[in-house]
Amino acid sequence: MIERIKLLFAEAVDVKTALLSNGEASIEIAYLSSLCKEDKINNCIMVPFTKAEIPFSRHLETNPEYEQVEDPAKWQDMLLRGYVLIQSHSIIYSFLASDVISSDGSLTQVESAIQGPQLALSEDLNKSLNLIRSMYPSPELCVEQYTVGYESRTPLYILFDQRHVDSMVLDNVRSKLTSINADIVHAAGELEKLLVGKRLHLFPTVLITERPDRISRSIGKGKVVVLIKGSMFALILPATFFEFMHAIEDNYEAFWMTRFLIFLRFASIVLTITLPALYIAVVSYNPELFRVQLAFSIAASRSAVPYPSFIEVFIMLFMIETLIEASIRLPRYIGSTATTVGGLILGQAAQQAGLVSSIMIIVTSVVAISNFVIPINSMSFAIRFLKYPLIGAAIFFGLSGIAVGVFLYIVYLCNLRSFGKPYFRLHGKLNPAEGDIGGADIK
Amino acid sequence: MRPIAPIILKLALALLLLVPVGGCGFKDIDKRFFVVGTGIDLSGNEEKPYRLTIQLAIPSPKIEPGTSKFQYETIDAISIAEGLRMLKAYVDKELDFGHCRIFIIGESLARKNITSVLDWMVRRRDIQLVANMAIGKPDAASVLKIKPISEQYPGNALLLSFGADGTESSYNYAESLSGFSRRLTEKGLDPALAIVKGDKNKGYIINEIALMDKQKIKLVLSPDEAQMFNQLASRFTKSSMHGIYRHDGIVVAINQLHSRFRIENQDAQHLIKVNIRMKTVIEESSSSLMEKDLKPVEAKLEKSYEAEATKLLAKIQKANVDPLGFGLRYLAMNPGEGSWDNWQRIYPDASFKVNVRLIIEGTGLIW
Amino acid sequence: MNRYFFYLFLFVALMNIMIFVPHILNDNRFDGSVAAILISPIFGSIMIYMFTNALSRFPGQGLPEIFSQYFPRWFTTAYMIFYAMMYWFSSTVVAMAFAVLINRFFNPDANVLIIMSIIVLASGYAATRSTLTVMLLIEIIIILNVPIILFIIFKMVTSPQLNLDSIHVVANYVWHWPSLASLAAATFIFTGYINLSLFNRLFPPNFRFKFLWMYPILGLIILLVTFFVPIGFHGSQGTAQYIYLWTITADSLMMQYGFIERVMFLFLIVFLNLSLVYTTAAWHQAMEFLKGCMPSMKPETDSPKAPISNYVILGIFTMASILYMVMVNENMNLAITTAWLIIRMFTEVATVATVFILSRRRLMPR
Repeated sequence: MIERIKLLFAEAVDVKTALLSNGEASIEIAYLSSLCKEDKINNCIMVPFTKAEIPFSRHLETNPEYEQVEDPAKWQDMLLRGYVLIQSHSIIYSFLASDVISSDGSLTQVESAIQGPQLALSEDLNKSLNLIRSMYPSPELCVEQYTVGYESRTPLYILFDQRHVDSMVLDNVRSKLTSINADIVHAAGELEKLLVGKRLHLFPTVLITERPDRISRSIGKGKVVVLIKGSMFALILPATFFEFMHAIEDNYEAFWMTRFLIFLRFASIVLTITLPALYIAVVSYNPELFRVQLAFSIAASRSAVPYPSFIEVFIMLFMIETLIEASIRLPRYIGSTATTVGGLILGQAAQQAGLVSSIMIIVTSVVAISNFVIPINSMSFAIRFLKYPLIGAAIFFGLSGIAVGVFLYIVYLCNLRSFGKPYFRLHGKLNPAEGDIGGADIK
Repeated sequence: MRPIAPIILKLALALLLLVPVGGCGFKDIDKRFFVVGTGIDLSGNEEKPYRLTIQLAIPSPKIEPGTSKFQYETIDAISIAEGLRMLKAYVDKELDFGHCRIFIIGESLARKNITSVLDWMVRRRDIQLVANMAIGKPDAASVLKIKPISEQYPGNALLLSFGADGTESSYNYAESLSGFSRRLTEKGLDPALAIVKGDKNKGYIINEIALMDKQKIKLVLSPDEAQMFNQLASRFTKSSMHGIYRHDGIVVAINQLHSRFRIENQDAQHLIKVNIRMKTVIEESSSSLMEKDLKPVEAKLEKSYEAEATKLLAKIQKANVDPLGFGLRYLAMNPGEGSWDNWQRIYPDASFKVNVRLIIEGTGLIW
Repeated sequence: MNRYFFYLFLFVALMNIMIFVPHILNDNRFDGSVAAILISPIFGSIMIYMFTNALSRFPGQGLPEIFSQYFPRWFTTAYMIFYAMMYWFSSTVVAMAFAVLINRFFNPDANVLIIMSIIVLASGYAATRSTLTVMLLIEIIIILNVPIILFIIFKMVTSPQLNLDSIHVVANYVWHWPSLASLAAATFIFTGYINLSLFNRLFPPNFRFKFLWMYPILGLIILLVTFFVPIGFHGSQGTAQYIYLWTITADSLMMQYGFIERVMFLFLIVFLNLSLVYTTAAWHQAMEFLKGCMPSMKPETDSPKAPISNYVILGIFTMASILYMVMVNENMNLAITTAWLIIRMFTEVATVATVFILSRRRLMPR
């Protein structure tokens, strides 16, 4: 039986098989350790078998919890549902020892979904694996174990579906994992930096998530997932820019609304990056871009402001960035006070004191709010930085500076590769007979 | 080892960024003076023939009817560009023409020659080609200096009169700078401009149209003619016409109007056929039209409209201008050398035939 | 994958506005531009057909590889240098035209050389990236900008200001035999296929060129719009007085209900993007051709790190462009561009014919 099960399953560390013998009889057992309660297996199989107070085969025959399995085709399925398979005297019995993590798992906090699964990954590798296995019950799932960190010896699992995975990416990940040179690794973000290996990067090229449903979907698409012990987050790679814009809930809700939401996210990215720069460019270089009413009301509200437009922008952006930072770092109860004080009172007061114009308050809030629309936190952080170089370009060159700056960002994005795969690329229909562009070079 | 080339590139970029600091056009919006209206007149002085009047907006945070504030600057100069440069000495902020959407040319200037004015406008990069042009009567300065009570922000009232999001008057003829300059150069298509008059310093009256040749005004159309001209030119905004049916006055509102023309050559006599189709609704009638056949009413109205239109066309023809583009159509239909000379011979003698198909679609809410 | 060929075609076709094609055509509008416009799709489709047909026998190979297989080294080297020059030139002309345009309409007080340097540095950096990056860049920029262009063109074509009679008057001159300049200008629209001489490296071996019938039609539509819309707006006589014909045409249009009222700003931003990407693509190809001269170079489409030679070549290009800007004024630029367009036409015919013959030779058994 063991041989056969090993053939059925892809190589995974949690596929446990054993040949037990207690002097009188010998049995073979097989189970997926991540899906089963090991103590239940101990109590119900190991202990009775080794004690051998009554012959174990009698035990199997009498206890209704052990069911005889006639059809070998069912093996795979039963193992994936948390059964233990026992072979005794060439008869196969099954025994349900599944460990369902439901209420005791922690809830998602960073990437919450209203109607999706609420459970997040666990800091315990086995519990995480249990969640993923139960959401992706396929025998093709490979699980490999590594350790990183000379001192911390942090265990890692890498998971992938062996049918879909891109072998080039997999080799790349494996070689990078074995060559990681660090003393202590604890967080998923830390591991990401070590894996990517570039010191200066603007965008995250690895997706960090806590949602098992996102992970199982990615595995199905042929991606590699890295679980790290002691962190609730997993890495998904290779990632593309567009996946960062995709909330997992987009798969669960009405089609047109989710398309609209995706559009909304892209629009808010554009706004949050360009709006402060556009404000400077339009106010100081090309006021004819506005409608007349707007131009006059900006000119009027700015007439009290003694500083040039970019100082105004810097004052407001400094305020909003410190506010965001403060509300993240502060304990949750004080955090809301900080936002109230900052957002409501300071903004109003700054405008009345003639430090900034009223339009600038709107610009700042739009920048802040639209930044939070991005579903993945690491991307949201990366985007937060992008507006500053553009502000610089706008100060010196106005609108054309912004356009060139945005062009350079796009060039940079197109130039990024996530584990050898293009990061910023629209995937249209691919004819598998023709192959992909750039494919000729790889062969 | 990291390649040093990108670092060099970045350094070069940083250096280049430092070079232009200072003096590259960075000027905040509150340090600019927005010109919202420009008027160009003749000063009567031989040495400094042009009188330039600019209307400068003073932005105020409150936008309410009647609160718009202006400043005016006037100067006489040899040329417009010169005058503008001299005007800079009069004001404390940078003049910005980016929002100037109204250009008014004084009537006296328009009766003389407007070529150089237009050249200046088209040449300047910051003057929008979508800006509206009009003729000010008696002169541009007086029109600009009117302060309409309802105006919400500087320059709004005139702009609304010309734009499609404000009033839609069938007497107004809105012409943009680009359209006007096209008509000044195009063979067989002559320019026309609306005439703006002040209404006791409270508002504007725009109901006359000046027809021009390539240089100056040749003919001024009365309000009734102006409306009909707009209809013939397919610059149709909802309008009305009145006629007389069995001694009773009758007014119909025109909801839809199509006008097209054709040039036919019949026995060496050129005939310009204008076909007009309109759909109307009765707006006013002194007698009840219940159960009456509307056909004779239609026929009567058609006839009177045809007569008036023919009269107007003949008048335009007599002034030897061609604002409707008959000549251009002739050129398009008759390619070849000398076609333009032919047309210039033909046009004064051509006759008009107006064909109106008027449909009364309803009698309003009552019979 | 045919969409990538489509992008290569489209972005060059749209760039005609920046490379003075409307201006040249309008200058010759009574001397055969209309005939040139009608002839050029035929010319273009023959070229496209021959080139794609020939290149499908050299899968995954660019022009440098094909040439070095058949010709002596000195010939290949000379040809590649000439080719690189041609590419460098076209993009420099575009960059310069745009720098002047920005200087006129966006930053009238800035120094035009600085604007030029920024454009050139930005696209220079982009051009040092790998071929695959450049291809992806073209795709993104096209997808972002073409909807806006379509919108602007839609607004123009449906505008009541568009005078059909003026267009008709000019169209009447169809029987005039085209001048060389107008023919060269009109055929520029179809020249996007020549980018395959490098980007063919990216296409996988089993790739088939499809929908080839579409390109002449699309090109003809673009050409008609490029030529006739300004005439419809400014009249058959008025078009000649404007230097920046299309910018002025865009300025004649207003978006009554748009966030930005003036179409011109939208137009300039869109074409700034396209000019940058055009310069990038052209310089990248020029760079790869130069690298193809060196025998040690192995063609790479997606190297993880840009080799130093990229930076060196692009550095030279950048400097040369700025130098060109210093030495040449606007009028000379126009004259040089016209000459370039004509030389380009003949070069292309020569290249296409050579590659086509080579591909047939390959087919024949020795």
